[in-house]
Formats: sequence, C-alpha cells, structure tokens
Amino acid sequence: MRYQRAWLVALGALLAAAPAAAEPGVTDTEILIGGSNSFSGPLAFTGEQITKGGVELYLRVVNDAGGIHGRKVRTLWYDDAYRPQDAVANTKKLVEQDKVFAIIIPQGSPPVVATLDYLEEQKVPLLFPYQSSPVTRGKRWIFQGMTVSDRSSKMMIDYLAGRRKFKKFAALYQDDEYGKSFLTAFEKDLGRHGLKLGAAESVKRGVTDVSAQVAKLQATKPDVTFLVLVPGPAAQALKERQKIGWSDTLMVSTGPLTDERYLALAGEAAEGVEGLSLWPDPATSDLPGVKLYREHMQKYAPRNEPNRYSMAGYFAGMLFAEAAKRAGTNLTRESLIAALEGIKGWESGILPPLTIGPDHETQKQGFWVRVEKGRFKPVTDWLKGE
Amino acid sequence: MRRAALALGLVALLAWPWASPRYFVFLASLSVVNAIVAIGLNLLSGYTNQLSFGHAGFLAVGAYTAALLTTRWPDTPVVVTLAVAALVTGLVGLGLGVPCLRLEGLYLAMATLAFGFVVVEAIMNLDWLTRGNDGLRVPAARLGPWALQSDTARYYLVVAVGVVMVWAALNLARTRTGRALLAIRESEIAAQASGVHLARYKTLAFAISAVYTGVAGGLFAFVVGFLSPDAFDVFLSVDYVAMIIVGGLGSVPGSIAGAALLTVLNDSLAGFQSYRPLIFGTLLILSLLFMPGGVARAFRFLKGEQG
Repeated sequence: MRYQRAWLVALGALLAAAPAAAEPGVTDTEILIGGSNSFSGPLAFTGEQITKGGVELYLRVVNDAGGIHGRKVRTLWYDDAYRPQDAVANTKKLVEQDKVFAIIIPQGSPPVVATLDYLEEQKVPLLFPYQSSPVTRGKRWIFQGMTVSDRSSKMMIDYLAGRRKFKKFAALYQDDEYGKSFLTAFEKDLGRHGLKLGAAESVKRGVTDVSAQVAKLQATKPDVTFLVLVPGPAAQALKERQKIGWSDTLMVSTGPLTDERYLALAGEAAEGVEGLSLWPDPATSDLPGVKLYREHMQKYAPRNEPNRYSMAGYFAGMLFAEAAKRAGTNLTRESLIAALEGIKGWESGILPPLTIGPDHETQKQGFWVRVEKGRFKPVTDWLKGE
Repeated sequence: MRRAALALGLVALLAWPWASPRYFVFLASLSVVNAIVAIGLNLLSGYTNQLSFGHAGFLAVGAYTAALLTTRWPDTPVVVTLAVAALVTGLVGLGLGVPCLRLEGLYLAMATLAFGFVVVEAIMNLDWLTRGNDGLRVPAARLGPWALQSDTARYYLVVAVGVVMVWAALNLARTRTGRALLAIRESEIAAQASGVHLARYKTLAFAISAVYTGVAGGLFAFVVGFLSPDAFDVFLSVDYVAMIIVGGLGSVPGSIAGAALLTVLNDSLAGFQSYRPLIFGTLLILSLLFMPGGVARAFRFLKGEQG
C-alpha cells in the first residue's frame, strides 16, 4: 500500500514536469534549428558563409545576451553538396530524428524545391531559402529569403525605362528557372512602359564561352543589355564585350548576380557596369546594422571577411530571433508563423523597414549601383519593388 | 542453417518499418536502391573486369524514364514503369557497350566517365522534356488502386524489387552466361579459347549492368521524389565504384554490404559539413589498406576460410 502511494506520487510528479504539448525542437532552455546546405560541392563557400558565417554569427550574439526568452538557440547543419537527394535525406533527418523546430536558409533551387512539399506536409517552417525563383510562393509554412525575380524586374525596369528613359533592351540569360523567370518578368514590365524586349540570347548553365551570344546581341544595338547569369559566364560576357569593343550599351546585372565574386572575376572589364544590388556593401556601408555586423564579425569570427553571403545569413538569424521573440514564451511553429506574418515596419539597420504580411516575402527591395574602381557605388536610394 | 539465416533476414526486412524510427525507413530504401546499382556494377566490373565510372549516368536514364512516364501517364502500374526504365537503360547500356569493347582499363574508365557527363549535359539540354536544371518533381508510384505515398509503402516496393534483383544476380552465376562472364574475368584468352564469344558477352555484361541500374534509377526517382542533373554528378559514380570495392569485387552479398555501409556512412557524415569528403576519403583508403578484398573476403577470412 505504501509503495503504491509512492508510485502514484512519483507518477504525478512526472506528469506535472512534462510540458502539456512539447513542440519539436523547443525546450525550456533551448531552441534547435538547422538546415541542409552546401558545405562541399560547387557552392560550398556560399553555404559555409550563410550558415556558419552568418546565421550562427548573429545567434552567438543573441545567446551571449541570454538567448530568446531564456532559451539559447542551437544550430545543426548537414552537408548536401548541392545534390537534391542528399538535401531530401538531410531534411528528413533534421525533422524526424533531430526534431528541429524550423529549417533555416537552405541554398539553391534544386535542393530547396526537392524538400518543399515534404516540409509543407509536415508543417515545419522553412525559413528564408536562399534562392530567387518564385516556386516558394503561396505556401503556408514557407517564408522566402532572396528577393523574388519579378520584384527585381519591376525595380529594374521602372528605374531604367521610367527614370533613365532608355528605349531598347536586350537580355543575356541563363537557360533555367532563374533566367526564364526574369525574362518573363522583364517582358511584362516593359509592356507596362509600352516597350518590348528587343533581343534575348540564352546561355546553358556551366557554359563559359558566350562570345556567339554577345556578338548576336551587339548586332541588335540595344541601349541596355541585362545579364541574368551567374558570376562565371557574366564576367566572361563583360570581357568579351571589352574585346570586341562594344561600348554603346549599358550592361546591367540582376540582383543575384551583383556580388563581389562577379566583380573580382570580371576585373577591369566590370568598370561602368550597373546593376540592382539587394544588399548594402558589407565592407563599406555606414548603415547602423551593417556596422554592427562588422563589429560582431570582428568579435566572434575575426578571421572571416565581410561578404554578402554571411550578411544574408546574419540577417536571416536576426529575423528568426525577432520572430521567436515576438512569438513569446510559448513558442510553437504556429506562433512563429503568426509572428513572422505580423512583422510591420521592422528596422534591421541593414535593409529598409520590413513588412512581411501574407505574401511571406522577407526581402522586397534593392537599390541601383554602378561599378567604379572595382567597387559597387550606390546610385539611388532603395527602389520600390511592390 | 542457410535457410534459417535467409528466413531471418527476410523477416527482419519486412519488420524494419515497424521496428525502426521513421527516418531509417527512408535510409533503408536508399540503401537498397544503391545495393541494386552496386550489384549491377559488380556484374560488370567484378565479373568481367570492366570498370565503369559512368553508372550515375545509367541511374539518371532510369530515373528520368520512370519519372517522365509517371508524369505523362500517372496511372501506369509501377511494375510497368520499372520495366520500361530497365529496357530503356538496357538499350543505352548496349549502345555504350559496343564501342567500349575496344577499350580496357584506364581507357574504359575514361570512356564511361565521359558517358556520365554526356548524360548530365543531355538532361540539361533536353529541357523541353526533362525541365533541365529546374528539376522534375516525381509523382507517387501507383500499384493498381494504391498510390505509394508513405516512406513505408515505398520501402516495401524497393525491398520487393530488391529481393527479385538479388535472387536473379545470385542465379546468374549458375547460368551459361554467368559462367562465361566469370571465365572472361579470369582470363580473356582462356575464355576465348574455350569458346566464349568475348565481344558478345562483354556487351551483354554492359546491358545487364545497365538494366540493374535502370531499375534502381526508377526506384530512386520514387524514393527521392525530385530529380535534377545535380543529383547525378561524377562523384555519385565514384561512390558506386567505392561501394563494390569496399563490399568485395565479384560478390553479390558484398555489393549489398558495401552499398549499405557507404550509404549509412555518407549519411552520418553529413553533420561534419566541409570535412565530410575528407573523412569519407580517409575511411575509404583505410578500408582498402586493411581490407583489400572488401567486406566479402574479410567475412570469409573470419569464418576461417582462405580468401
């Protein structure tokens, strides 16, 4: 009899100690988030920077300041080497074995798209995937990271056709979802200004020789030539243009292309090139958030150098922390989604005030830059993407 | 004894989804898919001594065939889909086998390596059909009235097909074709002298190997649910070669062990991020140094037989 009572007391204590409905990845002292990313393979540098160089950098700041409502944030990263099947395996492992609270900043369209349906079905938040195609739209559990192509296009065309009054446009684009989604958007936005895309030449991914396409575009004499490419072939196009002395066109790069690697590859051939920049210059910008980013990097990762990838990851970490804070002490996947949807006019000090809302897009703006002496010089303030 | 072990193995395979955590069901499916490829590659490399670094290419052909077929005609029974994938890939294998007849060793490895690249390029360039770099979502496989939508359903499909493929491979060694292939491995000249038509059997080995990989490709498409050219890079081909070397050349159980071992290893190393290739490579070298005949020979050695 006495034993029985002792058992009952013990059982009661156990029941009281167990939380009513435990949310995966959340305990009283910890929040576990993670993601599959490229740590080997073609995009290993980007992967390493957005995750460990960026998300983790900001979360260390948060954890050192006591965490979010007393919970430290722990991260878990798996390498997929840009292979979709490994991304699927890693994501399943994160959700089913490690029971992460949310997936954060996976990279590249194929690995991300391979996991979309699964995450949506499992009701696991997919936060800020680092890819620009609009396939992530209209999903309840997904918040897009990079500026989506049609918003970029609107900013670019409104600026070039509206403010700068250019008339003849052409495009050199990568023959995949990234390139084609820009092409469609360009045509639509030019149509609003009563203009047309005069010529378009495609480049297969992985191809480095673009001389034939550049020659064909030159023959159509456009005022503006869009480069919807990745750094390698884009730099090649700029060098080719220099070689054949094609100077009466303005070369314009898209948001995903406008980065430091593209500049370094093109060298002096990039001088005078313009483009849409999605991020302020990580090394030189005086914006308060960017300065803080550099300070934090100085403090926690002094051997790393400021770059846009780590800044994108840092911003993702910041946005996650903000949403988790707003979701309150009873953090659930539902309350995180609600908190993200409720973000209005939020100041990050890096990007203009952010309002997310039901569109689930966390980055909607960019500004115009021109390459001068090997760096991107801002030409405009933030442009409107809506 | 042998029968008991077999029965036990089968029961374990069937009980797996109910006994293990959900993620391991998926991982087991992937292991079986890789085991089928490894058996196919071993029939070519272990039996007739023709090393291939292009099996990711065959896998891609099988996977895209199955995926496109299911996208176009969603009601096709999965058995038919897999048979078509096997047929198409087998024909491609036959086509590659003929020119490869003249090549040996390093040159053959180079030719098959090139084949792998050609397949990936073809997928990218036939984007009206394959959706190129954007990748292809694979609808669920159908078997009569059922859509195989859960990890467990797909696991049973993969295991059922796997058992048939293993059984066929084990029996192949006892057929005229199997004996001819083994004779070629031991000595091409001796085989030819005993009346084995070299060209015919070497080409046949390519075709059989491709059929195995094509079936695996079809299963791969359904298990992963998404295909893109990035899935079939050259490193995947190298992984398959590593599987049969670690498992044991010319051994069906060895192929299965090697495939399971490397699939699980690759998966558990994902957490090491950028160190993954380094650790993976080191372990491979160590296994070659200390277990040169692979798992199959190490096992025989432990049983007290001479390897």
